[in-house]
Amino acid sequence: MRVQALENIAGGAAETSPPRKWGLLPASHANVGTAFWLMAPAIAVYGTFTLVPIAVTFLLSFTNSAGFNTAADFVGVENYRKAMQDPIVWQALWQTVIWLIYHVVLAGGLGLALALAIARLRRSQVFFRTAFFLPHLVSLAVVGVIWANIYDPFFGLLNTGLVEIGLGSWTQGWLSDPSLVLFSVNVASSWQGFGLYMLLFIAGLQDIDPALYDAAEVDGANGWQKLIHVTLPGLREVMTFVMSLAMINGLKGFATVFVMTNGGPFYQSELITTYIYRLAFQSQQHGLAAVLCILLSLFAITITVAFNRWRARMAR
Amino acid sequence: MSMRSREWPVALALGPVLVLVLAPFVWLIVSSLKSEEEIGRADPFEWPAKLMWQNYLDAWRIGGFGELVGNSFLNVAGVVMLMLVTCAPAGYALAKIPFRGREWMFYAVIFGMTIPIQAIVIPLYQVLSAVGLINSLTGIVLAQVSNGIPFGIFLMRSFFSNVPDELVDAARMDGASHLQILTKIFLPISAPAVMALVIISALSTWNDFFLPLIVLISPQVQTIPLGLVRFAGTYASEYRLVFSGTVISFLPVILLYILTQRRFTEGLTQGAIKG
Repeated sequence: MRVQALENIAGGAAETSPPRKWGLLPASHANVGTAFWLMAPAIAVYGTFTLVPIAVTFLLSFTNSAGFNTAADFVGVENYRKAMQDPIVWQALWQTVIWLIYHVVLAGGLGLALALAIARLRRSQVFFRTAFFLPHLVSLAVVGVIWANIYDPFFGLLNTGLVEIGLGSWTQGWLSDPSLVLFSVNVASSWQGFGLYMLLFIAGLQDIDPALYDAAEVDGANGWQKLIHVTLPGLREVMTFVMSLAMINGLKGFATVFVMTNGGPFYQSELITTYIYRLAFQSQQHGLAAVLCILLSLFAITITVAFNRWRARMAR
Repeated sequence: MSMRSREWPVALALGPVLVLVLAPFVWLIVSSLKSEEEIGRADPFEWPAKLMWQNYLDAWRIGGFGELVGNSFLNVAGVVMLMLVTCAPAGYALAKIPFRGREWMFYAVIFGMTIPIQAIVIPLYQVLSAVGLINSLTGIVLAQVSNGIPFGIFLMRSFFSNVPDELVDAARMDGASHLQILTKIFLPISAPAVMALVIISALSTWNDFFLPLIVLISPQVQTIPLGLVRFAGTYASEYRLVFSGTVISFLPVILLYILTQRRFTEGLTQGAIKG
């Protein structure tokens, strides 16, 4: 209401006002100063605590820095060479890719499936939407503590529950089995993550023109055909957005791994992020850590740019 | 409507899924009220003979949760205020003031959104340490705000862009400065944007773990997620304490969400889509 009133006032004023005048200088010159002062607080904080660190990370990757407050020399591309030869770097990279895929499939998939089901509900929609969103409110670190206990081999919900319902042979060392650990930890992360994707999909479904469904019905389409020919095409934009968001979130995955396994056993759940933390704050190999930092940034930039291009092409 | 007839079958099918998804919460809350001996019997379907509220008192006292909650509140308040002060004017400038280099600034913001915080952590620690802000709430607030600024600016800019230019022009004719236009007109009519920014930065700050892990070293200054992880590590064998401490960590946000869920959901969805 208030917006509308203001718009009317503004509209009225605009009709009677003389043509726009910003003084003698062209608009862009007169405004640079004002714009700068309005952006100054953001630039000051962001410059100091993000831009400077980005630049320093780049420099660090060419030094042999071995800790905070220690002298370091430039060593050229030595760290890049070291990174290429470090088997754990490759393992962490590969596991990060697997981790991303798990997260997109598990969290994105569950979010989409639930959104499709919930969006048809009328009376109970708010209830289900609220209830399914609850895990997303929990800090990933707290999620790590919760799921470490769920996976506890002796007292955890999963193994004790399986025994109680007579599936004792299904019990596993969920976090100690090297072939299972990455998946187990990812389930915890995805449990926390799917709620946001679900909300985004629901918002996307609500934007689809209902007339399209009526038209499909007139054409005699069944439920499945409506899903394939109306719903999923209508969700394409949200779908690419959720995919890029889920990939970026997966790339940033840290807390659950750090809390539940700390990368173990035998580096089987090590991700780029946890390895960076280990190199930076435990073994103090800052040069090598900086190379991984750059790699992580390049990954993130690639994902963002690729999805933006894809979306732009679809919009055309 | 043909939709209506599907209400109950769909709701019934969703029931078991909901039980599975919420089982961790239920199990944790029930287990947190058990005695250590009952937890040792490892039967998740057993109801506690006597509800052990004592567990909560013990966890609260031993884990120092009062202090952790206090620190988290200060942390969130600081971040939310500083986010508004930095992002609203910058978003306004990028949306409504035509100036040379605006495009360039905007791409810098988008670039900033893509860099993960873990990728700059070493120099960030060095900068904070150089200005004496390691192990302080001021340090963590500045680091988190810096990390959130690109998103915040982007969000405010996309809301402000939808406000008609004529509004700015009319106010300029009346002699208002851009700062006055921002505070007297744009912020009041952009309540949903402000709400989205507040909700998203408050939630992500309350739940942040990575930056506190780097910056907040002594227990007296730590926030809830970090404090809980430390507590759960120290008392790992005392399940009743770990369980009740964990419930203490997540329950406040969940209750707040249930009370304000419509606004909360709207703010979060709007923020995520625009951002």
